[in-house]
Amino acid sequence: MAKPGAESRLHDIERQRQQVLANPLARGLAPTEVGIFLKQLPRERFPANVYSTRGPAPCIQPRGGFPVFDTQLELTRALDQAGADFIPLTIDSCTRHNQYDTASQLLKRSEEEGRSYLNGYPLVCHGHELTRELYRGLAKPVSLRHGTPDARLLAEIAIASGIAEIEGGGLCYCLPYSEGFPIDRCLLYWQYVDRICALYSTPDAAIHRESFGPLTATLVPPAIAVAIQIIEALLAAEQGVVSFAVSFGQTGSFVQDVATARVLRHLTRHYLDEFGFHSVRSFLVYHQWMGQFPTDRAQAAALIVGSAVISNVIGADKIVVKTVDEALGVPRVEVNSEAVATVRYALRTFACGERVSSPLIEEEAALIESEVRSILSAVVALPGDAFWESVYRAFQLGLLDVPFSPHSDNANRLTSVRDGNASIRIADPGKVPISEADAHTERRLLETRADRSDKTYRQMLADITLMA
Amino acid sequence: MSKEFSGRVVIGVIGDDIHVVGNRIMQLALEESGFQVFNLRTRNRPEHFCEAALEVNADAVFVSSINGEGAHWCADFRHLLVEVGLGHMLLYVGGSLVVGKRPEEEVVRLFKGFGFDRVYHQRPDIDGAIADLFEDLRNGETRRRITAA
Repeated sequence: MAKPGAESRLHDIERQRQQVLANPLARGLAPTEVGIFLKQLPRERFPANVYSTRGPAPCIQPRGGFPVFDTQLELTRALDQAGADFIPLTIDSCTRHNQYDTASQLLKRSEEEGRSYLNGYPLVCHGHELTRELYRGLAKPVSLRHGTPDARLLAEIAIASGIAEIEGGGLCYCLPYSEGFPIDRCLLYWQYVDRICALYSTPDAAIHRESFGPLTATLVPPAIAVAIQIIEALLAAEQGVVSFAVSFGQTGSFVQDVATARVLRHLTRHYLDEFGFHSVRSFLVYHQWMGQFPTDRAQAAALIVGSAVISNVIGADKIVVKTVDEALGVPRVEVNSEAVATVRYALRTFACGERVSSPLIEEEAALIESEVRSILSAVVALPGDAFWESVYRAFQLGLLDVPFSPHSDNANRLTSVRDGNASIRIADPGKVPISEADAHTERRLLETRADRSDKTYRQMLADITLMA
Repeated sequence: MSKEFSGRVVIGVIGDDIHVVGNRIMQLALEESGFQVFNLRTRNRPEHFCEAALEVNADAVFVSSINGEGAHWCADFRHLLVEVGLGHMLLYVGGSLVVGKRPEEEVVRLFKGFGFDRVYHQRPDIDGAIADLFEDLRNGETRRRITAA
């Protein structure tokens, strides 16, 4: 048994930290100086402060990252002016894989030739001193969006740049993004990130962590997403993180979105309290449709508005938005600003003060909650000296199984398809330990589907391209 | 294992491509059609397919490429199979096989030139490939000998 608890806190990371910061790209980054710098920042740069003073609608966060500093500055200013509540900094894929030399070369080429050779901002190459300039005078939180299994140096530089929200986690940034990065190592590296976030946090200036709930964004059953979100919240809390957002991606079913939000919010609080982390504040983030997007811009706009309305209904603290050019690649600055305005309009027009409920939603929520409880009890019961070891073992045994993960340690035994309401159903749980009764309910609900076929793969193909 | 399979198929994604969704669905599709599947998953070199085909005594090899690197990696594929004594192997390729927009006939010709028996470029479904596999398993090897002669 390895219950989550504060005794797993990394008490002595100094030597590891010296090693990480010895990289020349850290450019002499000194934690003491960073602490003083963070103290001088406006309090609105810290997500917990913004969440606690937000109005009835969710905060809005676009995505965006360009390689060249000036272009990123232009994007930052444009998104700020367009009314984004959180400013994104999306990192390029070379930096995500710790390939800083390649990132430097491609940055240089991008600067020389005036076109982008990287799909994001190479933060480690630019360094914290320059990146502080991106946000001079800004009174909004900046969010680091990446997908990095080993984000130790990246997170150090991000915080030193005044970025107070770090997305990611040892599972959510490993299973969907990596084929061979060892899961146990990734969990340990994210303990480091969680720990430094905690070390820099002060009561009114918490470095906030957010997990990435959409995972592969391909037919992930809510129970799997919710279980992984709660595990990452607990792992962060073990390291002393005091402000944490769990998230999930639009499922494609209104009923399932409302039910998932309810269970995710309720159980995150429940488990944080159960393991003694009463002082950790938790928030809920909703991702607009993360699957294949329509190429037709009118349809894309409709999808964006629909997702915005759902974020209102579920009372999300933040919505992460897409653009009408999602299907085409990295969006232009104007298109990104436009998306913020569209979502703002939808949130204002379709305000939703009351909790929405129906027997269908109740049934769905009860099923998801029961499944998550079964999965988490099984994970906690696995042997290990620390909770992360049990979590790692759960993947080896297939108790946690993320559909369509490219990772070689993912079991790939669970299969999922949509039912008649487009809700994601577990057709075969594989080794995921949901109860026989819940597995039966999942199968029964599948019978609502009109185009039932004995060929699961045909249904899956249709399900994956649901919105396109 | 008492189950009777229609055949053994090695599948995988070639190159530094980690697009895994199609690969996973292909596995299910073949399994549900009665085949035993050996899935090499992502980031494979042609040699990996050849080794696996030898090891499991495969009837067919399905190569996929989604990021367009296929053209680069597949040129020597048939040659490598011949080298390990599997020149007769049924060899299929599918996905989004080249970078940029090129007519399907041109792409098919290119990969047939590499020695692929069946080429599926940017096709929306996989039922066709499975039907072709059943047909080729009945007379594929014979047909190739005739074509080669």
